[in-house]
Amino acid sequence: MGTEVIKGAKQETGFLSGNEMAALAASQINFHIMGYYPITPSTEVAENLDEMKAEGEHDILMIPGEGEHGAAAICYGAATAGARVFNATSAQGLLYALEQLPVQSGTRFPMLLDVVTRSVSGPLDIRGDHSDIMMALNCGWIILLAKDPQAAYDMNIIGVKIGELEDVRLPVIVAYDGFFTSHQKRRVQYFTDKSLVQEFLGSHPPKYVSIDPRNPVTIGPYMNDPDLINNKKQQSMAMEAAYNRLGEVFDGFYELSGRRYGLLETYMMEDAEVALVILNSAYETSKEAVDRLRAEGFKVGVMMPNVIRPFPAREIRECLKRVKAICVADRQESFGGWGGNMTIEVKAALKDDPDNRTLVLSRIYGLGGKEFYVEDAIDMLRETTGAADKGRVDVPFEYVGATPGDLNFNPGRIQNPLTKEETSQGIIKVTRDEASGKWDIKGVSARPLNEVPKRIAQGHSACSGCGIFPGLDIFFKGIQGDVVVLYHTGCAMVVTTGYPYSSHNVTYIHNLFQSGAPTLAGVVEAFRERQRRGEIPAADDITFVMITGDGGMDIGMGHAIGTALRNHNLIILEYDNQGYMNTGAQLSFSTPLGHATSTSHVGPYQAGNKLQHKDTAQIMAACNIPYVFTGIATQYRDLIKKATKAQYYAKNEGMVYGKILIACPLEWKSEEILGLEIIQTAVDCCFFPLYEVEHGITTITYNPEDKGKKAPVTEWLRLMGKTKHLGKPEYKDIVERLQKEVDRRWERLKAMAANPLL
Amino acid sequence: MTPVKIPHITIPKKHKEGAFEIRMESIGGLGANVAGKILAETGVLGMGLNGSNFSSYGSEKKGAPVKAHVRLCDPDTPIRNNSPIENPHILAIFHEALIKTVPVLQGVVPDSTVILNTTKTPAQTREMLKLHGGFIGCVNALNIAIEEKSRVNIPMLGAICKASGFLDPDALRNTIKNVFGRKYPQTVPGNLKAFDRGYDEIKIEFFPPDEKYPYQPFVRNPSKLGYMNQPIGGVVVSAGITREKDLSPSRVGFIPILDLDTCTHCGECDYACPDYCFVWEKGVTKTGKEAIFLRGIDYNYCKGCLQCVWICKPKAISIGKESDYNVDKLTLPHPFRKK
Repeated sequence: MGTEVIKGAKQETGFLSGNEMAALAASQINFHIMGYYPITPSTEVAENLDEMKAEGEHDILMIPGEGEHGAAAICYGAATAGARVFNATSAQGLLYALEQLPVQSGTRFPMLLDVVTRSVSGPLDIRGDHSDIMMALNCGWIILLAKDPQAAYDMNIIGVKIGELEDVRLPVIVAYDGFFTSHQKRRVQYFTDKSLVQEFLGSHPPKYVSIDPRNPVTIGPYMNDPDLINNKKQQSMAMEAAYNRLGEVFDGFYELSGRRYGLLETYMMEDAEVALVILNSAYETSKEAVDRLRAEGFKVGVMMPNVIRPFPAREIRECLKRVKAICVADRQESFGGWGGNMTIEVKAALKDDPDNRTLVLSRIYGLGGKEFYVEDAIDMLRETTGAADKGRVDVPFEYVGATPGDLNFNPGRIQNPLTKEETSQGIIKVTRDEASGKWDIKGVSARPLNEVPKRIAQGHSACSGCGIFPGLDIFFKGIQGDVVVLYHTGCAMVVTTGYPYSSHNVTYIHNLFQSGAPTLAGVVEAFRERQRRGEIPAADDITFVMITGDGGMDIGMGHAIGTALRNHNLIILEYDNQGYMNTGAQLSFSTPLGHATSTSHVGPYQAGNKLQHKDTAQIMAACNIPYVFTGIATQYRDLIKKATKAQYYAKNEGMVYGKILIACPLEWKSEEILGLEIIQTAVDCCFFPLYEVEHGITTITYNPEDKGKKAPVTEWLRLMGKTKHLGKPEYKDIVERLQKEVDRRWERLKAMAANPLL
Repeated sequence: MTPVKIPHITIPKKHKEGAFEIRMESIGGLGANVAGKILAETGVLGMGLNGSNFSSYGSEKKGAPVKAHVRLCDPDTPIRNNSPIENPHILAIFHEALIKTVPVLQGVVPDSTVILNTTKTPAQTREMLKLHGGFIGCVNALNIAIEEKSRVNIPMLGAICKASGFLDPDALRNTIKNVFGRKYPQTVPGNLKAFDRGYDEIKIEFFPPDEKYPYQPFVRNPSKLGYMNQPIGGVVVSAGITREKDLSPSRVGFIPILDLDTCTHCGECDYACPDYCFVWEKGVTKTGKEAIFLRGIDYNYCKGCLQCVWICKPKAISIGKESDYNVDKLTLPHPFRKK
């Protein structure tokens, strides 16, 4: 790009990452709506846009979904209402949204979705490969690829244009590599004047809209045979139209920007006898390999399609016509398909040329973000050259970069498993009068309980001062005997299980954070059923505990409620740090009003989070499960007693939900040493009351008013960097609104505690 | 931003692809990522070079090891390589304690310059690092940062600038002004002073590769578990194996100091500790009862959050500066760590 004469409009040189360029394009397009849900590595797109919004740089209405499925649905609804719509996601997020994708394309509402490609779980891997985007091949969306930060910007503009063409009207994905492109800064060019972008795109006249009462339409009818096949034929025709018209859109963009894109990206392919077909950032790296091999006299080249839906089969056939052998390198596998999806599709494309004799090697590389080096590309090209010379392929399909391991090394136990005796030493003595339901819990004091082995080992990699681990340990002090835990995705999961390590001294399961509760329900029921069938000793006694963050109780709320309504014998313990901290502090529904997060910035046009915090404990109490509680580490006696009760109820009656507030010094921007003081102050100002709901009866277990400790919320807010701005006079009304809501909920709770019917 | 006019920039050293390469080794929280951005942005926007910058991202946690990479090359040289830097021209180590847990020196060749944030001299550093050979630059970035109310990354930038031989200090100052000026204008003078002191105070010496210590090549895949011996499904069969880790490099200067004479063995410190560092032992009280007694702190896991200091009612735990203590002697390993 550096040497190319820039045509067209005035542009600025910048030094920006793929996510920054994607956000910049979106801000210049000025979409009406962005519906999104944070997921690494795409999250920065929404974060950057939120920051720009706080500075007044665009008007996009940013709507955080409760999960990617909801976010996709927000986008769909907005698109039917005639809005220009944007979303960005990755990996599981794409898969969770996947159901909505054919709805969007099948009912023909264009929008733009940036897929910042990442490995699909499980096991969970946050780094980049193409296993997510290939899942979207059959969704009816146009899929453009962007190989570097510049292309991320350009393709977003091109994507909107192509998707909105009258004879196309299809939603568009722009896919660029997670981390390699999304987080790498490069020298880039962008338009100084955003109106040029908007003029290039033109207006957005929707075909049908859902908000025109004078023109009533039915969007999404019940459409069986013989009609659906014709709807799909129309979609197929639209995709063909996109294929035919991409060239003119690329030409138009070249006129505007001076940057030329085609259906294919090629390097040294004109006389190449051997070639590598490889997508996105690895294509760029492979150009180095081509140069080095060319210097040795090998006629090699590299090629990638810039668009994979519609698939440019004709251009690929033409490009590879004289190539003796190619290696198609896929950053994912279609398991059992003897290649990744690009191998399969390139082979299919070549098959349609009866004269084609190109040999094809299929190689899987770079899964889970494994680095791709110039030497890897050289090795692939050398091996392909060997095949071309011999005229045959010895190894048609293989993994590159997978390693067998040290066969003399066999991982095993490093310690003896915890015993029931160790974990139930009888230090806590519990009696419950069955008739009255009254509890007598003795022996809850700090010192002796330190003799009980911890369920979590030392050596986890949480940030300094993380509140999760004191919180969980104190809770587990009240749980005697054997436990099995399930952790949702989140900080506690990531910092305790980085492979090949685990901090869990007990059996642990991970599942993605919309599905932990039903997964553990399945475990509990299978345990009981196998016990009933005599496969497991009847004396075995396990307490099942799910650990989730507040984020997991957003995206997983529906599943948690379902599990509660079925009343399985398990405990859900939520550690609430008021945001999606594992992914860089995006707001959650538990983020309090006015608090700054990376998706609720503070600036001249925005004053932090706009919503009051979610009352998850009351939502779960409304499910009428036997026991609901809240707790904090500084009131450890209270929390341990509640854990003790929780264990009883989970074993004997059904589901328990508990919520503990824990400090996150990194993202609360507070001093590590003050973590416990902050959560205690949150309780003392009644933001986070300590109480329990036992068989529907509410009991306040710590009343700061009785102790003469009741504080205004400002005492709590002044302790954190994320709420520092709330001390300024211009945010007085926000603090007042927060105080009012805290007071209202506290008074209501007191009324509930005073009246057993409430 | 306005580019600083620099007539001729001759990049003194280049790899095959034409780039001068800088790798920074740090822990989350010290600002290596920001330093990489400032450096590369200065090269590209301030000096008209081509460049790229990225960090070794994971789910980044404060205190966890991180790497930042910067490539700079002539304006017309394209940057296409997306892989990490293996043979850096400059290796900048932001945190001395990292040396014991991370193979930071991998790929350092005799014409590399290793810059260390340390109070040691280059000769002492060479011995500590067991460096094959090359240039060593020492700068007390922590001290400069504290004195100038900056962060370690800014004096390190000054040191890197000096060691590079081609990065323009005025252009870097300009970027620092822009980066901090927008949101935190009050921090600009301190940061500029810290930058200048890093530039002025770095001491660089050359050590010929005299066979005293071996060369450490860059190793791409050291994993002992592969497809022939990973338990299927990614299952980890070694419960609690993080115990074998050393988390002490996560600390950034402060540790809790326990005074057992004042300690009442109430046990609350253990309830405040995220890293489970307190070591207990069974014993008998003065009145003849069996009980557990606090015996010490296992600093192997302590990240220095100091919440134990906050919770300790009898004030038996106080804040200490790590450099004032011999932590290896002070630490009481958990029983499972005693071989």
